[in-house]
Amino acid sequence: MNYEFNWFYVQKSLPDLFDGLLVTLQLTLWANAIGLVFGFLVALGMMSKIKLITWPLTIYIEFFRCTPALIQLVWFFFCVPIIFNVWWSGYFMGILALGLNLAAFNAEAYRAAIQAIPHSHSDASVALGLNAFQRIIHVILPQALILALPVLITNGIGIFQQSALVALISVEDLMYQGRYISTQTFRPIETLTTVALIYFAVSFPVSQAVSYIERRTKRLLAN
Amino acid sequence: MELDFSFLLSYSGVLLQGLSTTLQFVGLAALLGLIWGFVLSLGRTSENHVIYWASTLYVEFFRGTPVLVQLFWVFFCLPLFLGIDLSGFASAVIALSLYSGAIISESFRAALKSIESSQFDACTALGLPRGVQTIFVVLPQAVLRAIPNLLSNVVSLFKESALVSAVGMADLMYVGQNIANNVARPIEILTVVALIYFAIGFPLTRAVSVVEARLLKVVKA
Repeated sequence: MNYEFNWFYVQKSLPDLFDGLLVTLQLTLWANAIGLVFGFLVALGMMSKIKLITWPLTIYIEFFRCTPALIQLVWFFFCVPIIFNVWWSGYFMGILALGLNLAAFNAEAYRAAIQAIPHSHSDASVALGLNAFQRIIHVILPQALILALPVLITNGIGIFQQSALVALISVEDLMYQGRYISTQTFRPIETLTTVALIYFAVSFPVSQAVSYIERRTKRLLAN
Repeated sequence: MELDFSFLLSYSGVLLQGLSTTLQFVGLAALLGLIWGFVLSLGRTSENHVIYWASTLYVEFFRGTPVLVQLFWVFFCLPLFLGIDLSGFASAVIALSLYSGAIISESFRAALKSIESSQFDACTALGLPRGVQTIFVVLPQAVLRAIPNLLSNVVSLFKESALVSAVGMADLMYVGQNIANNVARPIEILTVVALIYFAIGFPLTRAVSVVEARLLKVVKA
């Protein structure tokens, strides 16, 4: 191998990469906001005994879990504007597609957690005279959140990584900036390696934190 | 807005070709990923510090970066390092095998951990050499316990495979996007492509849960 490294261009374009990272982080945060809230609502809906509620939700979950995230994103980007006659930016479509994708996965995590809550808790809620809404907010949600937390965060970092896909629909995230700079400067090795290291620097600490939290919750539940 | 799915019939041949490329690609990458993943998992359970840390770093790095970055890295950078031309197919297979190897090694590692130490004691008592121990005692048990996770790893590999369209490999996703651009009917074509992915991904996902339930019974019995 006789390749000569030249880090000058990467150094010069670090501010652009940083702007891209900010877009990536915003996408991740918004998608997680949708995923955490909507995912919980979907999980609650799945608990329902009415088939008219559970069937559409099942189809939604299975569809988003069993198709590539890329086709979901491309589908939203090209088809939603035509079907609903709206013109939203690629950024917004990215948030929507990633958020709905995450919500489908999070719904499964919440559902497993809700099922793990002992039945006696809902008996206790009835005995205390809590209405359905109070029971969901004060009894189910806090426990489901704690139990599902490791999986929810893991899914959340997954979306951080999946968010690189939005570069393919021309959203100027970290991946997009990296590819742009590498083609502009003919320095793919330096640029793409830097981009990979930036992604790694963000997701690695979070994934380490997850295993820490997992150990903590296990101990918490054991006591 | 009027939907017209009839024009798709004339494209069914191309779509099928794209699908077969996707499936061939997934098959090849899954096979290589399984082998590489098992080797990595041995490294991660090794007592040699250098081997342990090298394989751990590798796994964490591939799990901690987007597959798209890895794919572009292999596609654009590896040829520069090696000084050879890599086709889109070759670089896609290399990138996805390296990635799935890292994911798969975690499934194997969990399975390896669950093998009781008495098995190793028995190997020592029987005087089995290291290689025989790995291939005839550890491997069969690890594979059996890892099967549900391995299957779901392959299913996610199938979903990730749509990415390879980004480096110009003519898989199902690529063909679909191409047709959508040519005939300016994205809704019909992209929906059908999504449904094709679903038609394969959904039964596979279900099969994983069935196999998991079956294996649980076998292991408990």
